[in-house]
Amino acid sequence: MEGKRTGPKRGVSIFSYWELLDISMDLEDCFKEMQDMGATGIEILANGHVDNYPYPSQDWVDEWFRLCGKYGVTPVEYGHWVDCYLFKGRDLTPQEAYEQLAVDIRLAHRLGFTVMRTKQSVIDDTLTPVTYWSEIIKRALPLAEECNVRMCPEIHGPTRLTDRMVSDFVDFIEKEDTKWFGLNVDFGVFEEMRPSPGRPVFPGYAGPSKPEDILPLMKYVYCCHEKFRHMDEDFAEATIPHQEVIGLLMDKGWDGYLLSEYEGKDKHRYEVVSDQLRRHHIMMKNTLGY
Amino acid sequence: MIEYDVIQTRGFHNVVRNGEVIGFQFCVRLKQYRGYWLSMIRTEDVFVDGVAYPKDSIVWTIEGTDYTPAQMLGIGNVQWPSSRPATLTVRKPGGLAQGYHDVRFAVRCIHTYLPPRISSDAAFAATPPQYEEKRLLMV
Repeated sequence: MEGKRTGPKRGVSIFSYWELLDISMDLEDCFKEMQDMGATGIEILANGHVDNYPYPSQDWVDEWFRLCGKYGVTPVEYGHWVDCYLFKGRDLTPQEAYEQLAVDIRLAHRLGFTVMRTKQSVIDDTLTPVTYWSEIIKRALPLAEECNVRMCPEIHGPTRLTDRMVSDFVDFIEKEDTKWFGLNVDFGVFEEMRPSPGRPVFPGYAGPSKPEDILPLMKYVYCCHEKFRHMDEDFAEATIPHQEVIGLLMDKGWDGYLLSEYEGKDKHRYEVVSDQLRRHHIMMKNTLGY
Repeated sequence: MIEYDVIQTRGFHNVVRNGEVIGFQFCVRLKQYRGYWLSMIRTEDVFVDGVAYPKDSIVWTIEGTDYTPAQMLGIGNVQWPSSRPATLTVRKPGGLAQGYHDVRFAVRCIHTYLPPRISSDAAFAATPPQYEEKRLLMV
């Protein structure tokens, strides 16, 4: 395995295959795909990919580690949700939300993950998390440390890296002096959003973040969703400055995984998804040099 | 294997209890990239050949356990996995005749990562659900 390499590394969020999984592909096919394109790290969405979530059988867990070993893939990021709107008519209390989160922290650890994409419930159009998000996270810090996993909200468009939400997360990290809570930057924040059918419209959106906006945040970023919608035949995408951002991460010695996340069209067609992911990995390989 | 469509071809049967046909069943999958806790699922009326079957009269079987929609709303620690179809049992004495039937089905989930303006009970009350339609063949 290439797990010891420092610097940005290539991985895949198998969210990319969601319209194929369990229909024409199984979990092992995802690993075969990753090996084929030279990806060494995986993101799963626990609620979608772990059999009998959140309590998989030991046989399933053994099979998980067999696949990671056989295909040379490191468990990188465990995607999950804190569903505060679990019950009709009332929100979860901070303690209830913590208890839901604790189940995921333990499962992430059991499956060998060291980063969690912790998606909190949102309250508005700019994806502001519930007002008590920091109470939930604060309760979970000791368990995250015990289990060696870092909880990371995903900074996702239309949120900008310079928004108050992000500085609130940073303030929390500094105040708690913790490395068990950080950030996952989704490259969609750098995307020049073009209106298209089926995409939600966010009133008041002020445009994409600039690549350099990631610089002051880099030390808090434990993972990136290398989001893309369409890589062209020259292995580039006009609307997201992929190579510029990756170049900044390389220059500053950022150490972590860039997880390909395909959010383009025709996700139900293997020939499209597989081709798009390979084009994306060519772009990353040529930028990173490996 | 599951089928890409929400309404599955496999699993469309009449239901016999104590020697009598009490209704019919069909299977649906959750076309989402994650499973949902039962309490976050909002069911809708089912239509077969234009006849409405009220949502509260339908029994949902998920991973081998039967639930009414009202029971599902109270269960926050069991998931409907996206990889496993649910079976819906619809009461209709005598069942459905052999041949093709037009089935319409809709379901919604509370997506907590989306703005409540888009995904919440209030938003759902203001917007009709999108129905899936499929012609199923009763053997």
